[in-house]
Amino acid sequence: MRNGPGTADLQRWSEEVARDPGSPSFLPLAEAYRRMGKTEAALRLCLRGLERCPGSVDGHLLLARIYLELGERERAADEWAITARLDPDNFDAHRGLGFFHLERGEYASAGRHLERAALVRPGDPAVQEALAVLRRHLAKSGGASQTAAMANGSGAPELAPPEARNGAGGSAPAPTTGRVETAAQPRVAAAKRVETAPQPTAPAASAERVDEVAQPPARAATAEAVEAAPQVTAAAQPTTGTATAAGRSPAGAAKAPGAGGLDPARVFEPLSKEAPFLGALLLDGRGLILAGSVRVGGTTRSEALGAVVGPAAEEAARTAALLSIGRWRGILIETDRALLHVAPLEEDLLLLVATECGTPVGWVLRTAERAAELARRFLAEGVV
Amino acid sequence: MSDAVASTLDRLSHVPGVRSALIVDAEAGVPVASELGMGASATAVAALTASLFRRTDEAVRQAALGGLGSFQLETEEGHLVVAGRRELIVVVVADRDAQLGLIRLEVDRAVEALQ
Repeated sequence: MRNGPGTADLQRWSEEVARDPGSPSFLPLAEAYRRMGKTEAALRLCLRGLERCPGSVDGHLLLARIYLELGERERAADEWAITARLDPDNFDAHRGLGFFHLERGEYASAGRHLERAALVRPGDPAVQEALAVLRRHLAKSGGASQTAAMANGSGAPELAPPEARNGAGGSAPAPTTGRVETAAQPRVAAAKRVETAPQPTAPAASAERVDEVAQPPARAATAEAVEAAPQVTAAAQPTTGTATAAGRSPAGAAKAPGAGGLDPARVFEPLSKEAPFLGALLLDGRGLILAGSVRVGGTTRSEALGAVVGPAAEEAARTAALLSIGRWRGILIETDRALLHVAPLEEDLLLLVATECGTPVGWVLRTAERAAELARRFLAEGVV
Repeated sequence: MSDAVASTLDRLSHVPGVRSALIVDAEAGVPVASELGMGASATAVAALTASLFRRTDEAVRQAALGGLGSFQLETEEGHLVVAGRRELIVVVVADRDAQLGLIRLEVDRAVEALQ
């Protein structure tokens, strides 16, 4: 579709969404924003719309696409997974998941999803290419039995030799097997591949063909952002996508809040005398540490926790909204090595408290309240 | 539904304050069995909670904290408790004033029963 919506359409959709964020108009409006390059606005619209309509297949698909453009591949995969749950024969969801797993070297999962996609839409060239790549890779790495299993699977598509299709594609694709093997490295793909969403490992020729049919070219800036996205999972990235900002030490934030006197690294020291207490962190919405530290097993874990807590809290908040159980107030996470409590403090700040495994939950909650008081005091001094 | 799963779910759903209880395939994000409150969609709850559990598990592993055992979300209107160790996870949606101690105990039992 080359002609975008007109001003009147945008105005009408905007009015409808303003009246009711769950109005079906959130979809075309978010898509229009996405195409205009207003990706963050599109993301907000989509999230808000899905809070009201969690069963919207198109909404989850659009959200996956937006996440992909933001470089958040894990989140995109989550949305495809939800879509596939809601609509088990959804081609886009299975294609997206197929490429996602292929890129990560998860060949069994990749095969399952790609075959499902091929069953739904047998003629899709990108899926066929990916299946060929997958089979070639499995054969090369001695996975003959898996290759055979794929071919014998329920309705596995007939695969022409990839070389033949490459020739038909009219351009020389990059060695696709090599691309799979180096999937953990930054993308070398072009803007069009980004726009076609689930195409990360497809040969360029196929990606272009699909793109011509399905979507207009992406903005260069968006493509660059996705290309530059670090290949760590979205869970480890701060919400802004600037992974490098996540692990700044408290000292780096010393002249922000709390500059009035308290040492940011020692804000929660009054709690450290109590045995199960491993530490606490005051974090901003981007995962930056404002104060505190956490040690688990004798090793400082502040930076790693700072990086993962923000996205985890965001995901929890979103799930709570989608399940219609109100705004989130706290998360208790029990792991093999620690018990974590995360709660919103004020504005977009988060407070994390870590304790030993097996600590009574009631004690953790009380300690979290005391940590919140210390954090507020620290922030108040900063204001002075 | 096996007897073990059925009785586990039955116990969970009878804890005061529990709105919905589900056993979910964590990998596939689909409900294996469910006792749902009014207006709840097993498909949506299973998909969302499985996704949340997987992502949180991945996050804590990246932070070198080992695997995820359970996840408890407190909200203005209730609680979401998700726990599990293998492919099946136990999901409970409960009222705000529900007996969380009892719910956690039953969830732990359910996880053990499903091992």
